[in-house]
Amino acid sequence: MPYNIAMVSDFFFPQPGGVESHIYQLSTKLIDRGHKVIIITHAYEGRTGVRYLTNGLKVYHVPFLVIYRESTMPTVFSFFPIFRNIIIREEIEIVHGHASLSSLCHEAILHARTMGLRTVFTDHSLFGFADAASILTNKLLKFTLSDVDHCIGVSHTCKENTVLRASLDPLMVSVIPNAVVAENFQPLALHKNSNSYPFAARPAPLPPQHLGPHDTITIVVISRLFYNKGTDLLIAALPRILAADPHVRFIIAGSGPKAIDLEQMLESRVLQDRVELLGPVRHEEVRDVMVRGHIYLHPSLTEAFGTVIVEAASCGLYVVCTRVGGIPEVLPPHMTTFAKPEEDDLVAATQKAIAALRANRIRTEGFHEQVKKMYSWTDVAERTERVYDGITGAISEEEFYGDVSGGGWSATRGRAGVQSFALIDRLKRYYGCGIWAGKLFCLCVIIDYLLFQLLEMLAPRANIDICRNWPKKAGKGERIDEEGDEATPLRMARSRASSRRKGRLR
Amino acid sequence: MTPSQPSSAFLNISYSAHNKPPIPHRPFTDPNRLAPEDAIYASSSPRRQRRADHYLALDGEVAGENSSVKSIGSGRRRRGKDRGRSGSRRGKGVWKKLLWVKQKDYPDNYTDPPTFLSHLQRNPRLRPYDFWPLVADSTVIVQHISSVAIFVCSFVGIYQQRVSPVSVVSWGTVGSVLGWVLWDFWVRQEAASKAIAEPSNNYGDFMNGSAVSGASSPISSTALNPLSTPDSGIGLGLTLATSNLSSRKGHSHSYSGTSVSSGPSPTLSHHPSMNHLHGSAAAPNPTHLAHSRLATAKSALLIYIALLGLSPILKSLTESTSSDSIWAMTCWLMCINIFFFDYSGGVGVKFPASLSTNAALMASTVLASRLPSTTHVFSLTLFSIEVFGLFPVFRRHLRHFSWRGHLLLTLALVIGAGAGLGTTLSKKALWQGGWKRAVAGAIIWCLGSAVGMGGCSWWLIGLQRYKNVVIGPWDPARPVIRGGQWE
Repeated sequence: MPYNIAMVSDFFFPQPGGVESHIYQLSTKLIDRGHKVIIITHAYEGRTGVRYLTNGLKVYHVPFLVIYRESTMPTVFSFFPIFRNIIIREEIEIVHGHASLSSLCHEAILHARTMGLRTVFTDHSLFGFADAASILTNKLLKFTLSDVDHCIGVSHTCKENTVLRASLDPLMVSVIPNAVVAENFQPLALHKNSNSYPFAARPAPLPPQHLGPHDTITIVVISRLFYNKGTDLLIAALPRILAADPHVRFIIAGSGPKAIDLEQMLESRVLQDRVELLGPVRHEEVRDVMVRGHIYLHPSLTEAFGTVIVEAASCGLYVVCTRVGGIPEVLPPHMTTFAKPEEDDLVAATQKAIAALRANRIRTEGFHEQVKKMYSWTDVAERTERVYDGITGAISEEEFYGDVSGGGWSATRGRAGVQSFALIDRLKRYYGCGIWAGKLFCLCVIIDYLLFQLLEMLAPRANIDICRNWPKKAGKGERIDEEGDEATPLRMARSRASSRRKGRLR
Repeated sequence: MTPSQPSSAFLNISYSAHNKPPIPHRPFTDPNRLAPEDAIYASSSPRRQRRADHYLALDGEVAGENSSVKSIGSGRRRRGKDRGRSGSRRGKGVWKKLLWVKQKDYPDNYTDPPTFLSHLQRNPRLRPYDFWPLVADSTVIVQHISSVAIFVCSFVGIYQQRVSPVSVVSWGTVGSVLGWVLWDFWVRQEAASKAIAEPSNNYGDFMNGSAVSGASSPISSTALNPLSTPDSGIGLGLTLATSNLSSRKGHSHSYSGTSVSSGPSPTLSHHPSMNHLHGSAAAPNPTHLAHSRLATAKSALLIYIALLGLSPILKSLTESTSSDSIWAMTCWLMCINIFFFDYSGGVGVKFPASLSTNAALMASTVLASRLPSTTHVFSLTLFSIEVFGLFPVFRRHLRHFSWRGHLLLTLALVIGAGAGLGTTLSKKALWQGGWKRAVAGAIIWCLGSAVGMGGCSWWLIGLQRYKNVVIGPWDPARPVIRGGQWE
């Protein structure tokens, strides 16, 4: 059954990033599956009001004060009136929030529960428990997730983290990974082939590339140059890797505060001719950079999923990465070499990878097809749809949560397997958040409820227009380009016009 | 905890659980929930092995698995049956903690009890505090607070014209010189023992420093440092650290012009030290020592004269500010001094807690404007340099070299501070009956310190119960870099 879904997050295009493309791709695929999806985000510079993207994906850019790195000011209640308006206009049934640093998402989940809607939250990042910022974020997350119908983590590590941070029932958290648009990350030769044989079921297998002992091996690094992306490790390991093998080159793309350190190191060791610094590259150029190399080096110190290593593997690169966060779950062992986040181990792992490539023990030409089978947004959308089915009660509790032996009753879920909207039940859930926090959260919820009643009086539902839905595509027959239609995010600039052309008004 | 938050038990496990020996099979009280204990008790070596197998299993297909994984699967299934859960999943593939395998048999929210939270560690590096070591460590703080109190008392004495500023600074200087003599003795002793232990290293250091700089570097670098007054650990602590600096500066520093060995060529100048190190390593080169002492004395004299010249300026610097503001400001600056002081600093620290020292010196500068004459100002400022600049260095070294001396000094400081406070608070002079107040103050201050040290230590130990460090794969890894700059 089709749902009306609102994706809420502070992070959306035009800002580039992992969360942004996740939301976009998931929404597109859900629309393809017959649902209605809108996106609510804050207004970006030059992007305000309501916008339509490909497939009739409607984006509301709500005016909001941005305080830090595109996160809005947490105001708890001020978002409610406009949010309620949008929800009623669009007849939304499920509110799906993304990213734990987005206060817009947290507020939306709170208000949605007050309004009696189903809520889902997707966590995209890992947080520790030690520093002050994490403690604050975790408390806020606990507040929001005390009364959420279901959560989604992008990896099993992410799930564990979310469960611990928000004290959730592990069964309430699903693991649905990110995916890549494999078509946008094709290896060099395949790219040419696919143009000449567009209708071939499988492109002709690549001639296996053979590397001699003296052929140049290029190592690609594409990451923002931040501390937590492991740039210090890279700076320490890079000269040693280069010194050990005269036929190795580096291509480093990305910018950030550690770029100066990197440049200084290159200058002091006179390695400019063997290391190419590209600076920041746009997402659609990433593939063109990746296909120039043989090995992708990912020295990150923390990573919930690590989409970039999947993209690299899809481009046919052998991946050397640190064993941190969710990374060990992401790729099969024949595509990766893992290293501890230590300089020595990283150097050793890279040298092992170089040796393996030189000995032609790794057949990278099959990587693209394998990755394509592993991760696709269609699959992600299907699995997300199952979550929606579960929380709305479309599939039974037993099927969704497994065979519960404890008499079919759980404190977080009602008897029907879904969370009840009764204010007193909600207050019970919030009260357990902490001695002081619990009471504070209850107060917030009560105020939110009163605000909702006030809004119902001041701006009655009857006075809010229901907006017309974007006309759906006629049927399965027209969905020829299901995979191919996965537009790169950057193509969306002209999407409005093109989707107008595509759509036929009923 | 209300029933609505069942799994907040995740973070509320009692502290004592950590100390129990691992139990291999803990009965599951509730099949729906897992507690971190499950992870801890099960995270013994077989688990690790199993996980390794998971990651090593090359093919995604369940059929292609090796036997070890299969046996694990059967084991897990057995356990699953015991718990009366996931019985319907028997006969299906083994769940793996991987994302690239499509595990259609399991729902996305499937929680695998053996692997869920298996990497979670609670309080991994917990080192329970012992009472007496904690009390012993807190002596450092007591020392510093007492010396601040002594300084404040001295100021009040000078301000109320009960104590002659010259006598205060004279005693301070005598103490500093005595401290310097002691410190000099220790440093010589340590250098000798170090030279015995690792002559080659030391030799290398001397070579680097002296051969390149064209002057005997220990001297020149000491002379570079304006703060190297008597008993200045800062100045001499820099000996090795600045040898690179001096080598880069080359011949430009003419401070060392007075030293005899700077005239000759580099080779000549570094030969003596080499010979000396190879010959009698027990005692450092006497000429070196003499030079370093001379340089120290010289810079002490320099500071003395500079301070003498600056005193009138310092006196008038904040004269127009009202006294109330001065007292408030001093109060804050002293608090900054106490809170930002580097209590942990070892002997080798180059510039310990510059904020703290600067705050204290600024406080003394501000206070100086309340004093009636230039002599007063000069005395107070010099005294503050001695108390806040040099004394901490001496204390640090004393603690390093003689624990008994450290305790004696602590006692002396505490008694001194108490007596000073008592005298300050009494209206009478010490010899007119004020000594009673002084004794009372000393006793009260001593008792207060003892109770404070013991009480705070006990409190800290008590608070350890609430320590709950949760570490897992989600924490940013700490990169290990051989340069040692990131731990």
